[in-house]
Amino acid sequence: MENVIELKSLAKVFGNQTALEDVNFHVEKGETFGLLGPSGSGKTTTIKILTGQLTPTAGEAHVFNVPTSALNKGKYRKRFGVLTDNSGLYQRLSIHDNLKLYCKLYDLPLKRITEVLDMVNLANEGKKNVAKLSKGMIQRVILARAFLHEPELLFLDEPTSALDPTNAMHVYDGLRALKEKGTTIFLTTHNMSEAELLCDRVAFLHKGEIQLLDQPKTLRQQFSDASICLELKDGREIMLSGDATGAQKIYEYMAAGQVVSIHSNEPTLGDIFVKITGRELV
Amino acid sequence: MNFSMRRMNAIFQKDLKDLSKNMYVSTTLILPFILAIFYRKMDIISIETHFLIINLTFVAVTFFIQSAMIAEEKEKNTLRGLMLSPATLPEILGGKSLVSFLLTLVTLFLCVKILGYEPAQPTWIVLGMIISALFYLALGTLLGLLSRSVIEASVIMLPAMFIFGFGSFLELIIDKYPVLTFTTYLPNLQLIDLANKVESGAGIGSIWIHLAIIFAWFVVAAVITVIVFKKREMDD
Repeated sequence: MENVIELKSLAKVFGNQTALEDVNFHVEKGETFGLLGPSGSGKTTTIKILTGQLTPTAGEAHVFNVPTSALNKGKYRKRFGVLTDNSGLYQRLSIHDNLKLYCKLYDLPLKRITEVLDMVNLANEGKKNVAKLSKGMIQRVILARAFLHEPELLFLDEPTSALDPTNAMHVYDGLRALKEKGTTIFLTTHNMSEAELLCDRVAFLHKGEIQLLDQPKTLRQQFSDASICLELKDGREIMLSGDATGAQKIYEYMAAGQVVSIHSNEPTLGDIFVKITGRELV
Repeated sequence: MNFSMRRMNAIFQKDLKDLSKNMYVSTTLILPFILAIFYRKMDIISIETHFLIINLTFVAVTFFIQSAMIAEEKEKNTLRGLMLSPATLPEILGGKSLVSFLLTLVTLFLCVKILGYEPAQPTWIVLGMIISALFYLALGTLLGLLSRSVIEASVIMLPAMFIFGFGSFLELIIDKYPVLTFTTYLPNLQLIDLANKVESGAGIGSIWIHLAIIFAWFVVAAVITVIVFKKREMDD
């Protein structure tokens, strides 16, 4: 499989502060990759390096098999879309006018505006002035702008941080649709359920270093203690081991008709993050 | 480097629409007209007076509006969006300069009409004004790129506004303070010298130097602007 992103021993230092240290990973074509970590862990720095907005202090960063320093050429800029914390909109213009500018910059037909606004649940809001929009709506317009040219690679820095659950679901549907079309998505978030829902692989970034990298399912299995939780009719919740002894106990409770629910005790990605870093994902 | 008229025009159209809704800009535009109407009542209007209005138009319209537009793009993080799009440096700066340039031409034309200024050889005066406008556009872009916000740009530009806008008064004090002789090379004073020579019937042989000096100011400002723009593309 072709790698769209490749980082080798990447480091970034600001003054005497190390933002990233020896970061290594790759992202395959068509993959949704999640970079997870708390605020200040280096997620935005990574995206800025990958989009050519920052120069690495050491190591290599390649996107589309070219160094990120070459991404300022128009032919590469057409191939990726980006949403970061420093994306802005023209306040005095309408949503439609903001997107119209980008349609023209990317040589796109204006009908794309309707399509992307539908993706972010703003189909009937195009005429609204940006200055009158809520934070969540602004976030969705910026997302729509990032989707506009159907890029091969999409960088999303905390894409749903300002959204309510309904609109976040709309965005997830849009991202899944893009993934089905073959778009590679590089996502940073500290929302673990979002990562579980969308990502093929996730990397945990803490203090500028990658702590873990794998598929969410594999990580959950790896950190699972294989215990099983039984909820009984008398209100008790009991934990059983996942071996033959546990199986015998489950059989006995089931035979006695006492079981209300039974589920495995896999950790969430958030639990795993806390376990390896000793801190919460906020 | 690719250049797309479509992309430059898209930025121009956006700015035109955006500026039409910007009260800050429309109030600034009035300033040269107020002065032109005020000075029109004078019996004899000297070249220095004509060029007080003309240079003020360059400062208030070309320089200020350009710097405010660029500074606002920086402040609202929209400039980064343009930088990350396929639009190239000439397309972005060309598109963003076109509105200020056209506003300058219209304001200059109307102010000159109000004042009744009729130069002996309009071609050289128009050429001097166009080169001056290019210089102030580059200077405005540079100031906008160096400022973090519109307010900051407005404060930083005050000394420049005095030097370039009210340069006619500098000539009055140069005789008293010879140390200020270097200011005669400022583009605004060069434009006045050019106009005086044109009125006295001088030919290209003696006026080309003034055009060349103003053009040199433009080239220096443009080169620095491009360097700063390139630096602003990065967050390093």
